[in-house]
Amino acid sequence: MRRHWGLYLFPIPALALYLAFFVLPAAQGLQYAITDWDGFSPGFDWVGAGNFTRIVSADDQFANALGNNLTFLLAVVSGQTVLALGLAVLLAARSRGSTALRALFFLPTVLSSISVAFVWRFVYDPNLGLLHSVGVPGTFLGDEDTAILWVAVAQIWFHAGQMMVLFIAGLHQIPAELYEAAHVDGAGRWQRFRFVTWPLLAPATALVVAYTTIQSFKAFDLILGLAGNPPRSSLDILSTRIYTTFTNSRLGYAAAESIVFMLAIGVVTWLQNRAARIGAGR
Amino acid sequence: MSNHVFSRRGLLKAAGLAGGAVALAACAGPGGEAAPVASGGFDGPVEGELSFAHWRAEDKDVFDQVIAGFVQKNPKVTVRQDISASADYQSTALTKIRGGGTGDAFTAFRGAQFSNIASAGVWTDLTGQSLIGAYDPALITAGASGGKQLGLPYQLVFNMPVTNPELLAQHGYAELPRSWDGFLGVLDGLKGKGVTPIAWPGGDSGNGGQLINSMVMNNAPADDAFAQVEAGTLKVTDDWFLTTLKQYEQLKPYFQDGATGTANEAAMQLFATGKAAFLATGSYAAGPVRKLGARFPFGLYAPITVASGAKYEGIFNATFILGVNANSSKKAAALAWLAHLSDPAVASVYANGTSQHVTVAGVEYTNADLKAFAPWLTKKTLLAPRFQFNNLDVRTAVEEAAVKVVGGTEPEKAAEAAQRVVDQKR
Repeated sequence: MRRHWGLYLFPIPALALYLAFFVLPAAQGLQYAITDWDGFSPGFDWVGAGNFTRIVSADDQFANALGNNLTFLLAVVSGQTVLALGLAVLLAARSRGSTALRALFFLPTVLSSISVAFVWRFVYDPNLGLLHSVGVPGTFLGDEDTAILWVAVAQIWFHAGQMMVLFIAGLHQIPAELYEAAHVDGAGRWQRFRFVTWPLLAPATALVVAYTTIQSFKAFDLILGLAGNPPRSSLDILSTRIYTTFTNSRLGYAAAESIVFMLAIGVVTWLQNRAARIGAGR
Repeated sequence: MSNHVFSRRGLLKAAGLAGGAVALAACAGPGGEAAPVASGGFDGPVEGELSFAHWRAEDKDVFDQVIAGFVQKNPKVTVRQDISASADYQSTALTKIRGGGTGDAFTAFRGAQFSNIASAGVWTDLTGQSLIGAYDPALITAGASGGKQLGLPYQLVFNMPVTNPELLAQHGYAELPRSWDGFLGVLDGLKGKGVTPIAWPGGDSGNGGQLINSMVMNNAPADDAFAQVEAGTLKVTDDWFLTTLKQYEQLKPYFQDGATGTANEAAMQLFATGKAAFLATGSYAAGPVRKLGARFPFGLYAPITVASGAKYEGIFNATFILGVNANSSKKAAALAWLAHLSDPAVASVYANGTSQHVTVAGVEYTNADLKAFAPWLTKKTLLAPRFQFNNLDVRTAVEEAAVKVVGGTEPEKAAEAAQRVVDQKR
């Protein structure tokens, strides 16, 4: 190895890029988080932990965005997982009809989120929208209590097809012999699903839940497309809150919010991992 | 493995040290004190490649036309348009402008951005320059600070409801009243005749927020009331704003169904198809509404919220503030470019080409909608109060109080919620 020390030169470009595009911005983010820099002025003051203290103890808008984000997360994770699993179970068998239906359900995934937002703006409009025209009453995105859930519906529509594909891949990994054995033992459809499919889909489910969680935290452009910028408080989630703070010329505070945002994702991910381990009996 | 010159642990240490060094270097960050306002420097030659930084990509072709005229008059100059998306213009583009690399001549939004640039010392003081004489003095106050004219607000919009005069006249309202009760009477009459009185995009924060300008223009105790709210000397729980919110509550039956969830496109569609008499956004909607197929003439009208003796008839706003970069090495050329834009004939090309009014005096408007709105250039109008807020969170909270009231929240509760945000963000 000593004679091949030159091999150690190979990672240097990657390390340099990593330093330049990850370590440096991250370090700057940490630095800005303890300042009141507006992102433009030549000067700023150090505020220490002031931004973080304010976020945690005296910022109703951040707390509201966190609450909305958790509601959105729960709605999307549960709704999307159930829908994607249901579609996967129905369409896993290869047939001409199922292939076409799979493509149909997967189609929204290839659209841009802004296009999806504009489509759903039309769906939800209380005067000219699709739901209105078929007689569904409501203000939808204008209803303070339920607005975030209507966005969750759009998000589920947008990504369920993608999750369906992951579940279908998981279903195809399950040996057919297990179903045959269960059938021979007298298990009905539900029992086969409950005792064969569901346990063996655990890895795919964990992947879907993790991916959906990340998407839920990042539903930035869908929200802005549906609600406008800045979104009103009933539609504000953490990513839109940070963006609003940033465009509000409060870069230091936005950096601190970003760090809290990262911690929130970390906590949710950790809780999910714990729940998955407990579910798996580990 | 332990005798390797570069062990894995060694590499990790080196990477850690490098990371630490980078972190320390990053901590250098921006620094220094805010610069004073620059003045002068306009004596140099009018030559070189000039960078004109702005965010209005839709105006590019018209600017190309205007630039061609400028270059014809000043053959030693070329003008490059450095256009950024408006969201980027709030952050990265301005940072570049501060560095002087782009934006010898540049533009800024009214409000927080104008103030930030002023505190960073990037505007060059234009006070006393002859080109200022080309403007209507009442319309360029948004570009002044500390008694100095730092920038020239160029574009002019009327952030007040657009009307369908044909529809109004058809129902006997050729003349609109100058009192709150009179206005409610008109709305009630229209509703009784099956017309949607007001199309209001309450689901769109940017466009839905414009109505608050006219709603407070005669209720507020001072022209800078919203600035005082942000500063803490006035509160949105005070009577004047509670009155405003109660008036929003009175308007609720006259907005289209589901107004708090209505997108801007849908509100414009209602208006363009002649189903609504008022579109509560602003004159800037004229172009998009025409594209939706509206064939009727447009008018403007701001709700008068008092019984009598209204101080203001309407609202105007001036964004797109032109200025010369203090860090530019081509200030003379930048000033000459601004002077060219300030020529009424050139401003006329820009105005009619972009369907926007301008603050330059004596401009001839040939666009039919601009002509229809032009009488408002001389009426008693107030510079849009909603842009007095420098903090976007505060503005959103105050505007949202009105949306909440239309959604069914009691005015007092909506005001208290907004005031809580104001207090926290101060």
